[in-house]
Amino acid sequence: MSYNVGDELPPFVIESVSPEAMKQWAIFLADPNPIHLDVEVVKAKGLGDQVINQGPANVAYMMNMLMAAFPGCRIESMDSRFLDNVYGEDKVVASGKITAIEDNRISCEFTLDVEGRGTVNSGTATVII
Amino acid sequence: MSEPDFPPAPAVAGTSLDGTKIFTITADENAALCRSTGVEPASDGSAHPIYYYIATQVAMGKTVAGVCETCEFDVDDGPMMGSSGVKFSEPLMVGQSYKVTGEILSLVRKQSRKLGVMDVLTYRLRLHKEADGSCILETDNVWVLPRKELAA
Repeated sequence: MSYNVGDELPPFVIESVSPEAMKQWAIFLADPNPIHLDVEVVKAKGLGDQVINQGPANVAYMMNMLMAAFPGCRIESMDSRFLDNVYGEDKVVASGKITAIEDNRISCEFTLDVEGRGTVNSGTATVII
Repeated sequence: MSEPDFPPAPAVAGTSLDGTKIFTITADENAALCRSTGVEPASDGSAHPIYYYIATQVAMGKTVAGVCETCEFDVDDGPMMGSSGVKFSEPLMVGQSYKVTGEILSLVRKQSRKLGVMDVLTYRLRLHKEADGSCILETDNVWVLPRKELAA
């Protein structure tokens, strides 16, 4: 498979972010922060009316996009910026494009967007193919 | 340039985050994690790379609340992730056991138009194979700690 600078990467889509998955992530991260588990806490803090997805889960969606775009690749480095929250039942789309190629090392930029609200994460990565 | 009218952030740079816990990625948990993000686990024994964040957070020497406490910040006031970066030298593997070293790099107090006074915490963690101590990744995380009590 050949790649070129400027190529768009196939989007990775989560049709509806699962509040049940947030309960799993609270265990994975050993972090029982109630904003991920109890919508009433989110409302009381004035943060919205749905539970808030854990930030590392959003990074995982972007990693999934990269790994699907470059089958068998290894992520060498990745930087992610957190711009806004992802909420339960949001539809999120991770997408990106190739910014540089050097031998078997491909650099990319990417975003995670929530349908109707725009970009909530952005970043760059280098993968080894 | 005028002096800021709020006290400086606590001097926490250099605080050790070395852990004593051993973190092992199990096949069952890796599979559950992968599926929770919409993919199947890899068949080559590698774990989902997001374990860079999970393993270092879980096995560092302080809890999230403990890191906040070191920064004289109440975790209930809502720390926010600002950014996260990672450099891997090897993939994470299922069944492999890891330990963590790290330290706080800086805590800088700033005035933000959106958040008012806030402290920007940067810390670095490294994940090592328990077997030989070799480092397989290094991650720098930035958290934003809103200082509501210092709001004008």
